[in-house]
Amino acid sequence: MDQFIASLADGLLLGFVYGLAAMGLTLIFGVMDVINLAHGPIIALGMFAVFFLGPPGLGLHPYVALLVVAVLGLIFGAIIYFISVHRILDGPHLSSLLSTFSVNMMIIGVGTAIFTTTPKNMDFSIGGLAFWALNIPFTRLVGAFIAVLVAAALYVFLYRTQQGKAIRAVANNRAASELMGIPSTMTLALSFGIGTMLAAVSGAIIATFFSFSILSGGVYELKSFVIVVLGGLGNPTGALLGGLILGALEGIVPVFLPVSWVPVIEFVLFVLILMYRPNGLFGGGRS
Amino acid sequence: MTTVLEVNNVSSGYGEVQILWDTSVKLEKGKLTSLVGANGVGKTTLMRTIMGLLKPTKGTVSFHGQDVTRMSAHAKAAHGLILVPEGRQLFTEMTVYENLEMGAFTKRAKENFAANLDRVYEMFPRLKERLDQKSGTMSGGEQQMLAVARGLMAQPDILMIDELSLGLAPFLVLDLFEILKRLKDDGLTMLLVEQNVQMALAVSDYAYVLADGKVELEGPSRELAQNEHVRAAYLGI
Repeated sequence: MDQFIASLADGLLLGFVYGLAAMGLTLIFGVMDVINLAHGPIIALGMFAVFFLGPPGLGLHPYVALLVVAVLGLIFGAIIYFISVHRILDGPHLSSLLSTFSVNMMIIGVGTAIFTTTPKNMDFSIGGLAFWALNIPFTRLVGAFIAVLVAAALYVFLYRTQQGKAIRAVANNRAASELMGIPSTMTLALSFGIGTMLAAVSGAIIATFFSFSILSGGVYELKSFVIVVLGGLGNPTGALLGGLILGALEGIVPVFLPVSWVPVIEFVLFVLILMYRPNGLFGGGRS
Repeated sequence: MTTVLEVNNVSSGYGEVQILWDTSVKLEKGKLTSLVGANGVGKTTLMRTIMGLLKPTKGTVSFHGQDVTRMSAHAKAAHGLILVPEGRQLFTEMTVYENLEMGAFTKRAKENFAANLDRVYEMFPRLKERLDQKSGTMSGGEQQMLAVARGLMAQPDILMIDELSLGLAPFLVLDLFEILKRLKDDGLTMLLVEQNVQMALAVSDYAYVLADGKVELEGPSRELAQNEHVRAAYLGI
């Protein structure tokens, strides 16, 4: 029982961070109908960015470095948008899949050449919290807290600010937003930037407690897909809840079954949701 | 009289399909101009070309004497050229109030937000009761009101309305035409595309009759309403 609770807490805390990554994926899809297959490598780049900005590199405190990663992620996302997304936006879905997949391959290719695929480790520790059955490293707690904070900030931005509402307007009706004087291309670039930023930041948070390589993104990209389907494609709030569900599963399953069963159960769930609840568990978003 | 918008010999269309052939139209300051004609003659195409959603293959569009042919739609909106598009094109997932806010996105519109909001509430009291409702869940008439209201929030210098009355109940059509008259009395320059030719000629100062992508006839609306050809072809008299 103690082990169960400890694993559950562990999983839930991770779930917030997974949810944050998935929010990036689902935001981009919700706004421009593009499934960003470069999502995984961007997560991995976030890991490397915090690594090289942080103690092993420039020596910034990892949580300060996180802010820099956010800014870099935003800029990098806007660049990806103009190079590989903007021109295929009105094309068939296959075009954007291929286009973002090539970005994925390029990042992995260049990343492998520069960083090799040897795992890196931040060796970052700020103690832990031990009481009752729980023994939680503070990095996990802070990571989850930052994820919640960023998610809340995104929500406030989208629903309370003029620029955020413009993103929703463009997502809802691009032609009409253009008619109202909203520069839709810049708004789409900003959305892609924010989506990329969320992925990079979640990668950076993960790097504060797990080792990683340029290939690590793939695993988290798959998790993001499962989460996004759980929460409803295009629904950022659903993504955070989906992240918690996935995190909880990852925590609990290994208590009862060998750990290799985790992905099996995750993807069975993925298929079941697609079959019976294509709009996600919470019904929102688009089918 | 001052000409605020001038369309000179414009040809335009969708890809290979040319719809407009050498069309010229002028809008005078403070006047309500209407664009009438059968379905598919290019009225919407003309508006979309003026707005910059379609790029003309030939000809120019000038706004306050400045050539704006290649200017993007959002930049034109920022200068006060506003289109209320056919089929309303509301932000259906957003609330009524958010739609009005998005109407006032540009700098010139933001500066007059409070005054425009009051005016819109006063013209469309029904919208004021539904500020928190998702716009997509309202009735067709209410959506059309919101589309016009959103256009007014943009602080238009020229307001173009594509198919104001399409699919609306007759009493709503009358209400909306009353609003048009008021806006005209307030001195707003407007271009109206309308399938109800009789109403359009009754409310407007000047009219263009489009046929096969060309201006077939033009003149003061009162005169066109008496024209034999117009009466036979469009008014069914």
